[in-house]
Amino acid sequence: MNTGTYISGLLHLLLIGWALIGGWLSLPEDEPFEVAQVSILTGEEFAALTAPPSAPRAATEAPAPALPEPQEPAPAPAPEPVPDTPPEIAPRPEPEAPAEPDPAPVPPETAPEAEVSDVPPVAPTPPAETPGTALVAEPTPPRPSTRVAPVPAAPPPPEAEIAEDVTESATPSPDAAPEAPAEPATAPEEATTEIVTEAEEGKDSALAPLASARPLARPDRPVRVAEPAEPAAPAEPTEPEAPPADAIADALAEAMGGGAPETSGIGTAPSGPPMTGGEKDALRVAVSRCWNVGSLSSEALRTSVVVAVSMQEDGKPRMETIRMISYSGGPEAAAQRVFETASRAIIRCGINGYDLPVEKYDYWRDIEMTFNPEKMRIK
Amino acid sequence: MIARLMTLLLALGLALPALPALAQTGPLRIVIEEGVIEPLPFAAPDFVAENAEAQQYAREISRVIASDLAGTGLFREIPGDAFISQITSFDSPVQYADWKAINAQALVTGAVSVSGNRLVVKFRLFDVFSEAPLGEGLQFGGTTGAWRRVAHKVADQVYSRITGEGGYFDSRVVYVAETGPKDQRQKRLAIMDYDGANVQYLTDAASIVLAPRFSPTGDRVLYTSYESGFPRIYLMDVASAGRRALEDQPGTMSFAPRFAPDGRTVVFSLTQGGNTDLYSLNLSTGARRRLTSAPSIETAPSFSPDGRLIVFESDRSGTQQLYIMPAGGGEARRISFGQGRYGTPVWSPRGDLIAFTKQHKGRFHIGVMRTDGSEERLLTASFLDEGPAWSPNGRVIMFSRETPGAAGSSALYSVDITGRNLKRVPVRGGASDPAWSPLLP
Amino acid sequence: MTPFTKVLLAACALGVAACTSPGQYDRGGLGGGAGEFAAGSPQDPRSMAYFQQTIGDRVHFAVDESTLGDEARATLLAQASWLMDNPEYSAIIEGHADEQGTREYNLALGARRAAAVQEFLVSRGVSPARLRTVSYGKERPIEICSAEACYAKNRRAVTVVTAGAGA
Repeated sequence: MNTGTYISGLLHLLLIGWALIGGWLSLPEDEPFEVAQVSILTGEEFAALTAPPSAPRAATEAPAPALPEPQEPAPAPAPEPVPDTPPEIAPRPEPEAPAEPDPAPVPPETAPEAEVSDVPPVAPTPPAETPGTALVAEPTPPRPSTRVAPVPAAPPPPEAEIAEDVTESATPSPDAAPEAPAEPATAPEEATTEIVTEAEEGKDSALAPLASARPLARPDRPVRVAEPAEPAAPAEPTEPEAPPADAIADALAEAMGGGAPETSGIGTAPSGPPMTGGEKDALRVAVSRCWNVGSLSSEALRTSVVVAVSMQEDGKPRMETIRMISYSGGPEAAAQRVFETASRAIIRCGINGYDLPVEKYDYWRDIEMTFNPEKMRIK
Repeated sequence: MIARLMTLLLALGLALPALPALAQTGPLRIVIEEGVIEPLPFAAPDFVAENAEAQQYAREISRVIASDLAGTGLFREIPGDAFISQITSFDSPVQYADWKAINAQALVTGAVSVSGNRLVVKFRLFDVFSEAPLGEGLQFGGTTGAWRRVAHKVADQVYSRITGEGGYFDSRVVYVAETGPKDQRQKRLAIMDYDGANVQYLTDAASIVLAPRFSPTGDRVLYTSYESGFPRIYLMDVASAGRRALEDQPGTMSFAPRFAPDGRTVVFSLTQGGNTDLYSLNLSTGARRRLTSAPSIETAPSFSPDGRLIVFESDRSGTQQLYIMPAGGGEARRISFGQGRYGTPVWSPRGDLIAFTKQHKGRFHIGVMRTDGSEERLLTASFLDEGPAWSPNGRVIMFSRETPGAAGSSALYSVDITGRNLKRVPVRGGASDPAWSPLLP
Repeated sequence: MTPFTKVLLAACALGVAACTSPGQYDRGGLGGGAGEFAAGSPQDPRSMAYFQQTIGDRVHFAVDESTLGDEARATLLAQASWLMDNPEYSAIIEGHADEQGTREYNLALGARRAAAVQEFLVSRGVSPARLRTVSYGKERPIEICSAEACYAKNRRAVTVVTAGAGA
């Protein structure tokens, strides 16, 4: 071999060595991008980003992930967890990222997926609302309601049954697929974000809008963006099918000489890409929807508890494994009350299984949840 | 060779993304800091009557329990017509799936038996979604005449097991029952269960009576009466309605009496020569002690639960404000600093808050603040709200609300300390000046 | 009973009855015995009705105040004169407040108002032994319309004269 080959080989080895050591030195925690830094998009901008002309690109890019580049951090190939719970994660403004199934407003080729659709609450848009300012305007005064939840919801339509998720009734529309099942319309129970005492009721009356607008999300919670509903076509984000992720995981597993990711034969370390921040957040939101602290004493509301639970593969919690591991901030009796509310939350919202990616089961088989009611104290 | 080298590089390159993955160990950890606040749905199927005599009580007892719980605003009853399974026997196993299906998160079952005038009530509480009982089953006994009290005791158990708070349903409220137009109000002392049942009158309407207050054990009542022609403080024994005047010096007026937590001392306002100050009186020795000496008005005193401090209102600064001083008198520290006038301070039985009446811009409010005056929160607003009284667990406040105008009348209202669940106490006729007994033994 | 006893009893009853209707005393004087007027009627300057209607038995106060304005002082001067001229009366001064306040504070405020009137009358020579004070707080309004026009009338101190030289 000539000098050039030696130098090239040396440089390659140095590169690999740096990559190895560099990888060890920077243990990735939560993925730093997307969810935290995404800017809040208005409906129009979102529609522009995910307009049908870009859909074919998604189709052509689907095979692309089979050739991963080394410099891509691991979670990139995973699909952005598309909003499967209503006013949810904002879309990534990176349409060029590989293998992103665009949550497009129902382009024709994704019509078959319209069956399993979760729709953000279609709130009546106030007449004066301008898109550019809608999401950063001062929140309207909270409507009195017996239910306080982090996600304000408009009163459900009259024929809706109360359920945690929202599904649109199968009204005839050009977008709905013909085989959409005739489900009764359901909507989350009416909720508001704050308790309004009688003393405070009249305070903001001078500022109240003439139309009763749905309270807007607070800007410092980037995960929960209340998108104004597009008037004609309700956005129907699809379930994360995640075929590209499987392809990646399979490829890695083959390269490492292991079997399928779920049934690893080489020890107990979870294989496959770890949970994304978005997935963890989705779980957090799902549990918090059922975490009812309304009956807790003020002493209990100062007490945090850590609850452990083991999950089945279908996403349902194993009831007998729910246990309190530790508590702080109050006496044991108060912690026990908080634990009971936490346990009810985990069980109730997990009755049909949590929406967790099954190929990452090793990562979420055992979960430890810290329930801290401090922020709910006087709401 | 090159090809093998390239393959090696490619394999390593593929393995690199997995390395960080190997670094993650242990369970998935998430932190939940937001939840919902909503009434907890519960089911209280009719209690089982275990013998014929219990028939007339069984259903009524479960209705009182359900109404106590739902009345707190923290619980929501699932109506009986939604039930899938029925409870026909106290000991048969619970079909959790049926209760889950109607979203009953708590289930109260019970049974009643009666022999003679003796009533026994058993109950069990279940956490439906965890499919387990919540605490032990318990049994309460009482006379048939006191069946409501037994029901309240069961409800108190259910309430405390779920919320962690002390109960407050088995308690009484003493108040002034009012009739007649505003310029000829007839007032008499009355006592009732906290929910408005079992009203009894303690005085006739011959003279004006004001602001009754319970002793720490709930067996005696202090109040102000004009039966001598002048406002004077009296002490009454609830059971016998016998009473005696505590102060009768000519040329003086006394009012606004309150017990110290030890039940042996009374603090009150005494007016002499136009000036009103606070005094304390030892009930057994009759010894009187002056606590304040100021040319301003000092009134509406209330002890802290440990008996060491007194909060009161004074206009020494020019307007009515709240002050705290040692129980034996001494330097008073002002604790109210907001806009408006503050009066009728009452120390919570938990010691953590002081309730008060605030007037500002022509409106009256019931509010609470911490004992250092911080975290003031107004809970109500109306033409005239005044005179807050704390429930035994320090979680609910009852007060008077008067409506304006010639046809105006006074009613009792209650509100949770979070400001939620403001509602009227169902008392027939006009009512004012409530005071709440401790939880009955 | 013998007839003599009956007559004696009747005479005593008449004598006592006379004591309870002070207007019966005919003394002339004061303003000149201009003629016969019904004793006890408002024209009788010695009657309580006269005191109430002509002299004025009440004074009014500003919100949350117990100081006497000029009009109040004028009325009280007249009251003092009348009381000096009619030493057989004593008085209870009632202090009142409007409903715009809490119960205990209004009791104390009414007491202040009554005391202010009492001090003034004493300073004008009325013997303190003849005066007592009581406060009704907001319990006895005379106008019930929940507006300032009514409130102003309720913020008052009323001098109620009764027969009997002293308390």
